[in-house]
Amino acid sequence: MKLVLFDEDFKLGVLKNGNIVDVSASTSNLAYYSPQEMMNQVIENFDSMRGEIETIVSGSEGVPRDDIRLRAPLPKPTRLVCMAGNYMESGTRSEPGPIAAFNKSNNSVIGNGDTIMLPNAPATVFEHEAEFAIVIGKTSTNVQPNEAFNHIFGYTNFIDVSCRGIGPAGADNFFIGKSWHTFGPMGPALVTSDEIANAQELPIKLWVQGVLRQDYNTNDMAHKIPELIAWVTSITTLEAGDVIACGTNHRGLGPLQNGDTVEIEIGDFGKLTNQVIDTVTPAREWVRETRAQKEARESS
Amino acid sequence: MRIVLYGEDFKLGVLKNEMVIDASEISDGIPHNTPQQMISSVIENFDSHRAALENLASKNQGSPVSDIRLRAPLPRPGRLVCMAVNYMENGTRSEPAPIGAFNKSTSSIIGNGDTIVLPDSGASIYEHEAELAFVIGKKAERIKAEDAYDYIFGYTNIVDVSHRGNREDTSQRSNFFNGKSPHTFGPLGPSIVTADEVAEPLNLPVKLWVQGDLRQDYNTSDMAHKIPEALEWITWIMTLEPGDVVATGTNHQGLGALQDGDTMEIEISNFGKLTNHVSDPLKRTWSRETRAQKAQNNS
Repeated sequence: MKLVLFDEDFKLGVLKNGNIVDVSASTSNLAYYSPQEMMNQVIENFDSMRGEIETIVSGSEGVPRDDIRLRAPLPKPTRLVCMAGNYMESGTRSEPGPIAAFNKSNNSVIGNGDTIMLPNAPATVFEHEAEFAIVIGKTSTNVQPNEAFNHIFGYTNFIDVSCRGIGPAGADNFFIGKSWHTFGPMGPALVTSDEIANAQELPIKLWVQGVLRQDYNTNDMAHKIPELIAWVTSITTLEAGDVIACGTNHRGLGPLQNGDTVEIEIGDFGKLTNQVIDTVTPAREWVRETRAQKEARESS
Repeated sequence: MRIVLYGEDFKLGVLKNEMVIDASEISDGIPHNTPQQMISSVIENFDSHRAALENLASKNQGSPVSDIRLRAPLPRPGRLVCMAVNYMENGTRSEPAPIGAFNKSTSSIIGNGDTIVLPDSGASIYEHEAELAFVIGKKAERIKAEDAYDYIFGYTNIVDVSHRGNREDTSQRSNFFNGKSPHTFGPLGPSIVTADEVAEPLNLPVKLWVQGDLRQDYNTSDMAHKIPEALEWITWIMTLEPGDVVATGTNHQGLGALQDGDTMEIEISNFGKLTNHVSDPLKRTWSRETRAQKAQNNS
């Protein structure tokens, strides 16, 4: 099932054949104080809610997706942990880097159709990092690798928008490089794990202005899903509705700039589309190429 | 006013003259599912709760704080931002380090009397970082330094317990995630001291003891990027909300090892002592000296 939140009041819906079916009647018994908390409760109680949701979905055609404002399915996860440098980079790495992560501000999350605002910060470049994100299904502490998939509720598209060269002495930094307002596009749907036969074998694609930039597969992940869940939960407890972004293959990274439309899709999750606005005028410009293309150009 | 959470169910209370006065009748009227939602709401709407809290504290005697289990007054803030390398270090730095921060996991927070458990993480050492923390009172997005204090609700003690990397073993390299976010690595409390009680937040003595020995003893006047600048910078990047916490960094000269069986205490000014214990299932040992003492002994 593909769960969504939609409209100004973040109603629960289901994506069905390109349409959105309103299933908010199923949430009427929940007591919550934010859309995120509602989603956490839907996740925790999904086994008991599922039947009612499926009944509503089977009896409704829904409304065309394009007529509706979709929101991030996890609008403000309590924890948003991002893996750092977690791909083998299409064979350019001989061995996995040390396992590492950072906490990205949950206030960076935006939804489909929202705008990434490039801040007036002296970054050398702003880049898209297309990432496969895991949504946690229940309280998870010291999870063993062979139990990891039992702690996963589902998956979603995520872009870890990043700025470079802005930390101390021009270095990258996991706070000012990652936690900016609007730097966490997510969605459009939360895809329940039963729809994903093999999470470690999914194509990830990201386009900017219609041009394919990132095109890699989760099978290239360095520290695989069971290992990374075990590691993260050995350090910090995760709960239902928390998100782990699994890292990116950096070969296809490239600049985001004023006026760009960026799209990401993993497997058949549905496309997440966002626009880019540069808050600095005149807008900054970068060469429209990926890191791999730049490397090839500079070495030729 | 000193605001506390206490008991197994995180009741709201006021701490006054070493007595805890129950304020459940106020929190009972606040819709919430979690203690953090409740305290964040008290903070956000404090103008409408203040008189009632003061009234309770003046008419009720309360119970001795020594008989009560205090909890972290912000048990799970929406955001816990820690400033990195933010002191001039007793004159050992000629200029401020570039402004920097990290997000510490809110799952790390523990309260007074709770135990810091050292993980089996191959660290070279686990250290205490005594820090002044401030608590956000209202939504803060792209604020100006000159307005910063309008957004601060109060202050509290925090210890940013930190794991240092093992340089010999790159698989145990530390970063701001595994170095800072482990379970129990965020002792906080015992109370929130409202801002009206802190006349000069940039002139507060910060003290931390291990086994009764004074390790850290510095003043917030030595802060490199002062509170207004830090808050402007953080909220330039990300939005903070009522009940969020910013830890302002530490003076590293007095850092030292934490190890099994230790009792650690921190007190900033007259905020009240926060006391925590240390447990290490691996029973590792380190020398009991501060970084400054070690540097002196090595020279």
